[in-house]
Amino acid sequence: MSLSRIRLRDIIKKQYAYKLRDYIQVFMSLVFIQMLAILFSFNGVGMMGTSSNTFDINVHFYSADIVVTFTMLWALITSILITTQTYRNDDFAFITNRFSSNLSNMLFLLTASLVGGFTAMLSSNVMRILMYVFGRTEYLYTPTAVSEWLIGSIATILYVLLFSALGYFFGTLVQINKVFVVLLPALFIGILIIGAGTMNGTVLNNVFEFIFMESSLVIFMVKIVILAALLFSSSALMSNRMEVR
Amino acid sequence: MILNMDGTRPIYLQISEWLEREILNGNFESDQKIYSQYQLAEMFTINPATAAKGLTLLVEENILFKKRGLGMFVTSNAKEIIMNKRKNQTLKRLVLEIVTEAKRLNVSKEELIQMINDVNTGEAGE
Amino acid sequence: MSIIECRGLTKVYGKTKALNNLSFTIEENKITGLIGRNGAGKTTLLKIIAGFLRETSGEIEIFSEKPFNNLIVSANLIYINDQMKFPTALTLKEVLHVCASFYEKWDHDLASRLFDYFSLQPTQHYNDLSKGMKSTFNMIVGLSARCALTMFDEPTTGMDAAVRKDFYRALLKDYIAYPRTILLSSHHLDEIEDLLEDILLIKEGKELLHIQIEDLKEWAIGVQGLTTTVKEWTNNREVIHSNGIGLDRMYAVIKNDFSESEKQQGKAAGLAITPVSSSDVCVYLTRKTKGGIDDVFIKD
Repeated sequence: MSLSRIRLRDIIKKQYAYKLRDYIQVFMSLVFIQMLAILFSFNGVGMMGTSSNTFDINVHFYSADIVVTFTMLWALITSILITTQTYRNDDFAFITNRFSSNLSNMLFLLTASLVGGFTAMLSSNVMRILMYVFGRTEYLYTPTAVSEWLIGSIATILYVLLFSALGYFFGTLVQINKVFVVLLPALFIGILIIGAGTMNGTVLNNVFEFIFMESSLVIFMVKIVILAALLFSSSALMSNRMEVR
Repeated sequence: MILNMDGTRPIYLQISEWLEREILNGNFESDQKIYSQYQLAEMFTINPATAAKGLTLLVEENILFKKRGLGMFVTSNAKEIIMNKRKNQTLKRLVLEIVTEAKRLNVSKEELIQMINDVNTGEAGE
Repeated sequence: MSIIECRGLTKVYGKTKALNNLSFTIEENKITGLIGRNGAGKTTLLKIIAGFLRETSGEIEIFSEKPFNNLIVSANLIYINDQMKFPTALTLKEVLHVCASFYEKWDHDLASRLFDYFSLQPTQHYNDLSKGMKSTFNMIVGLSARCALTMFDEPTTGMDAAVRKDFYRALLKDYIAYPRTILLSSHHLDEIEDLLEDILLIKEGKELLHIQIEDLKEWAIGVQGLTTTVKEWTNNREVIHSNGIGLDRMYAVIKNDFSESEKQQGKAAGLAITPVSSSDVCVYLTRKTKGGIDDVFIKD
């Protein structure tokens, strides 16, 4: 019997194709989480008010910030989930090696980040409509230019992607050694506590500034892409010797 | 026919015996093509290599011969060979067993011959 | 051409050796039975062949390639076991379509016909199937993939007798039509032995026997008779099993390297010489202890 000759690219394509259908629940949870976030957003993200004897002014600020945050969390959890054995073994029911499995997972997460980031941005429109219909009082709306909206979308998508890369990295660590289930949260909380003690100039602060305070879009994009690529490739490298099934 | 599948008797021997019986019964004439190893394998749900071993045994005994690319065929004196073989081997073995058992039961030679005669005439009378 | 070649293959889990210096070769287009007790290392061996696990030491080559993390090996073999996982969100029919997209030699017509024959429902999900139905579905995938190396690890778990029979027949028919190398692991040798050409018997990660199944049937003989006669006759021979019968008789199983005249002498001395079934030989050879279950019940 002659041997089948296959190309890595074809296998990755096939894996990506079936994952889009198989991981449909990932997108369903996205819808649920974003609706929940919109609901929370109705409290407003900020408020200021002034009053005199005759009148009260309360200004509530509404934005899609909560939706974006929730979407980032969703990306983190989704990518951790994908590294678990149940999902990993699906690949090994068919033709695969660890590299193609990792790469198709990353392609899937990239797709998920695109969808997640884009819908998070769109959610502000949903909120606007809801606010208009159900809003209690005067409704003011700061129009955003298309370019601004585009920048916002790109940034959101990149943040979501970064979090999925982070989740994938954490998930892979846990798959390699279960010790990380305890170690990672401990590390995170530890840094928080140390950070609270010394106030400024801490690791967490620096990381936060590095990622969230970048004012140049181009540099920001480069930073995120490099970070995500680093996280993904080290995950792939770590799991390349892993035993399965 | 169903082979004896209890695992004690080699299947290839059972296959060759079954083919011998087919030839003796006249289901296959001289120079007629006999079943291939794959047909036998399908018929009895056995490995084709096992079926081939059964066929090879018959080739070694000149009951079958191989035509290159065409398959196995029955030789012209196949029936004769099978009958001779059965007389010299199977029947002899059975007789040996009968005689041993008779000795164990203290049955005399005359008594044993009488028993054989009885069976023979009994069959003829039916 | 040899499909599987391993030399000194060893796999260590912690302190236990699942495979211990295993060496064997499996030729192309043969059906080989991988036989051993639970924990003998069958599954570990198959998972190393499939490229899921890494060997601790020794060498293994499948299609002349190292199997671990190898895409070519993965494309040309399929490993079916009772812990198979298929995409959970997809229906059975969809899973078959995914299989079709992956395996180059996949026969979708065969898969569909088997699917209908075994009354599987297209809209069902794999995780909702019973154990026997899962095994049936796995078997359909394993057969239809037509991989050059097809491995079934305890394929009939949970199947009822009728389905098992159908499976063996389907396997044989498809093998005859499309010859390929098949490894079949089972601890029920008597069920699969007719399908096999060779048998690979392993015990505690080591190879015990690798011979033709038909030779295994003549590998040992059983003798029964007076204890003293049996003992005398089997003196200096490798007795692989013995048990007492009644007061002064016993039954012993010995490796069959007796000449025809020796056997005649034995018979003349009042011994009954019988063949020993291949599954019995395997049971005797793979037994972990010298005695049998009877010894457990002997009180001092």
